[in-house]
Amino acid sequence: MNDLKLEGLGKKEIVKFKNLKKEREKVIATTPLNDIKVEYNVNEIARFLHPKLQYVKVIDIINESKDVKTFLLAPNAEKGTKKLAYFKAGQYISVRIRIGKCLYKRPYTLSCSPKLALENRYTITIKRKEEGVVSNYFFDNISIGSSFVVSAPSGNFCYERIRDAKNVIAIAGGSGITPFISMAEAINDQLLNFNLTILYGAKTKKDLIFKERLDKLSSNEKIKIKYILSEEESDLYDTGFIEKENIDPYLKEETSFFICGPIELYQHMNEVLKEYNLAKKYIRTDLFFSEIDLKRKEDFNVKVITKDKEFNITCNGQETLLSAIEKNGILAPSSCHVGVCGLCRSKILSGKIKTFDSDMRASDKDLNYIHPCSSFPESDVVIKLPN
Amino acid sequence: MDNSYDVIVIGAGNAGLISALKLVKENKKVLVLESNNVPGGFATSFIRGRFEFEASLHEMSGFGSSEKTGPIYKLFEKLEIVDKIKFINLTEAFHVYGKDKKEDYVMPFGIQAFIDKMNEYVPGSDKAMKKFFILAEEVQKALIFLENDRNVNSKILSEQFPNFMKVAALSTDKVFKALKMPKKAAEILSTYWVYLGSPTSTLSFVHFASMILSYIYLGAVIPEKRSHETSIILAEEITKNGGVIKYLSTVQEILFEEGKVSGVRLSDGKDFKSKHILFNGSPTFLYGKMIPKEFVPKEALKLTNSRILGARGFSIYLGLNQSPEDIGLNDYSYFIYHSLDSNTEFENMSSIKNNSSVAIVLNNKNPHCSPAGTTLMTITSVFFGDVFNNKVTEENYFELKNQIAENILNNFEETTGINIKSYIEEIEIASPVTYARYAGHPDGVIYGYKLTGLDNLLPRTLNMENENYVPNVRICGGFDVKGDGFSSTYLSGYQAAKLTLLDMKGEEEE
Repeated sequence: MNDLKLEGLGKKEIVKFKNLKKEREKVIATTPLNDIKVEYNVNEIARFLHPKLQYVKVIDIINESKDVKTFLLAPNAEKGTKKLAYFKAGQYISVRIRIGKCLYKRPYTLSCSPKLALENRYTITIKRKEEGVVSNYFFDNISIGSSFVVSAPSGNFCYERIRDAKNVIAIAGGSGITPFISMAEAINDQLLNFNLTILYGAKTKKDLIFKERLDKLSSNEKIKIKYILSEEESDLYDTGFIEKENIDPYLKEETSFFICGPIELYQHMNEVLKEYNLAKKYIRTDLFFSEIDLKRKEDFNVKVITKDKEFNITCNGQETLLSAIEKNGILAPSSCHVGVCGLCRSKILSGKIKTFDSDMRASDKDLNYIHPCSSFPESDVVIKLPN
Repeated sequence: MDNSYDVIVIGAGNAGLISALKLVKENKKVLVLESNNVPGGFATSFIRGRFEFEASLHEMSGFGSSEKTGPIYKLFEKLEIVDKIKFINLTEAFHVYGKDKKEDYVMPFGIQAFIDKMNEYVPGSDKAMKKFFILAEEVQKALIFLENDRNVNSKILSEQFPNFMKVAALSTDKVFKALKMPKKAAEILSTYWVYLGSPTSTLSFVHFASMILSYIYLGAVIPEKRSHETSIILAEEITKNGGVIKYLSTVQEILFEEGKVSGVRLSDGKDFKSKHILFNGSPTFLYGKMIPKEFVPKEALKLTNSRILGARGFSIYLGLNQSPEDIGLNDYSYFIYHSLDSNTEFENMSSIKNNSSVAIVLNNKNPHCSPAGTTLMTITSVFFGDVFNNKVTEENYFELKNQIAENILNNFEETTGINIKSYIEEIEIASPVTYARYAGHPDGVIYGYKLTGLDNLLPRTLNMENENYVPNVRICGGFDVKGDGFSSTYLSGYQAAKLTLLDMKGEEEE
């Protein structure tokens, strides 16, 4: 080994090596004794974009239709929220509502331009559902001045200019219009740049929400809006469901479809879009579950284990585990409620479940991890929550 | 409830997990506290559409195989996890492009194969290359020796490692010169410099040489189910052996009693007690925020202030809707540089306009990592200095990310002649802001402190013991002595656990 010729290297270099320790000590000793820099713009923006929680209060309520309301939210400075986080059009916030001893969390799409967030305002638009605990609470108990907690904006149902076509056909069913009004306003505010045609299906004229705003937005040459009513004949609107002939006039060589609405809409559009033989990348939906056949209607015993406690509850075979957990007043992290965000990821220690969830990491599946927000019991179950 | 533990591990990154597993196997009562809801830190994966993306790992060095075991293989063997994770061995080392001179080189693993291939590209380089690998072997042995005996005047050192002694304090470039390494060969050989985040003029030769030897001799591996697989197995083993891991638990403060470490306080106000803490994070925030000022020794402040933050990360995760063959992506790893000279390239990467990158096409070694007819591709770039920090605002953030990503993608396409943009089915972009949020590191750093001058591997190693400024708080991970990388951080965690065991033993004897 010693015959390795290292040209020009000798004693001097060896001394340098032996002095390394001392030299380093010297550098440290001669460094000024200042406070360590702990504030970084990047970290501050990270905190701004992804706050753990945001405290908001309702400052206005707009009646959109007989069963749809929009809530204008502002930061609740008294609770420590000074600024609302910026977001991408199409994202949602998870709203936390305490009813009795239970803490319910529900995702609601932000139904405004991201620009509004920079002015410290959000809007969410909520449809009253017959059995919806939270939506009914919003209609009956939330008024101007009410305050609650929401999550940071999240979700991936957004236009990505690197990925998506310049021409977009958005297909909205009912309150599924919310992400698209946000996108249209973002285009109008020059935050996004693409051609957006919204095909908006609703039952009757009265069920159309945001109509005035949408009509105004359609004066922007990049935005087109077409209303299609399924249960009302009208000279002004197309009637029926959204079909190929509604789509064809707006189709370009490359078009991305964004679909948002009830499950029936996805099923219907799935059939309609088959004819175009589109690559998967051109069809984006805000839900990713296939049909699920829930046969078991009985109640099962569920043991829920958290960091500090254990609970014994029951969960019906047609109810998600998360819903049963929430109803029983057990705190559980959750956000998207469609098995995508991963926040509720929990481990099944025993028992059988059925899930419509495809967004689980391969090695998590091997180890019996599930998303309780999109899983139903098929037997008695023991589940360990992440918190 | 009993809230006291023998050791509290803060952060379930690679180092935190390995240290916790070692400690529970020594029958210590261990609590791991992790901010996120999954273990691993950067060693994780995430899902978009029908793709499970690897968050950080390109290739892990130091593993080898059951026939040729490297230090990580041995470590996983000791911890009884080596059979629990399926690793895939890579075959080609790298494909490197120098756009400015329109050059590209494909290099294999295996020392002889590597030297032969280099000689094809740079005729006459074989002599210097052979010498390089002989020297690298001596360097690696000497480094292992020094880790246990940090006496630079020891007789064994001068007798057994005379060449090491001569090169130990030198930069990579200086030793290349002494080896009479042809310039082009030195450039190709330096391809991996970016993984250490320091150009060859400032990067210590011994660190560089031992890394290259590890890659070329042992090859590199990837876990079949992304690095999340390794992290989740480590976490399961910790729990099985009686350890406790609490997720969604952010430590805010280190607590002291009578001048000694006594535990931690979480951001929700909850306290846990322990006399020993293993910290898998940045000393910048440990000394700057988490330890109350009166307990931070002056030297700790000075040391931290003397250091430079390393590379800031920027990654583009792509789910492509064609197979790699159909797209024309034939290699596993692409290094897309403008200049193969690392010093010039380092300057390029110190600008917001930087569009150099390292691209990994996972399917080329892990064919079932995504559905048939699709490709999982990650393109990673780094920024040196606070260039991103200076440019980003709340309002421009999303657009700035898109602009940088577009610039990197275009540069990849122009350099390789391979079109990828039209196949993008899923895209996710991680910026320094993402890394700052996920790992809590200052300025979105992914590589710890910059390895340069007297903050290179060797001076760090030699001064390790007297730089452990707060008794019973051991630092591990990418900000530790060995710097960033999967193998470095696994080894760092193991060493920190062993040192903590010694700290505990010392206490018993007192």
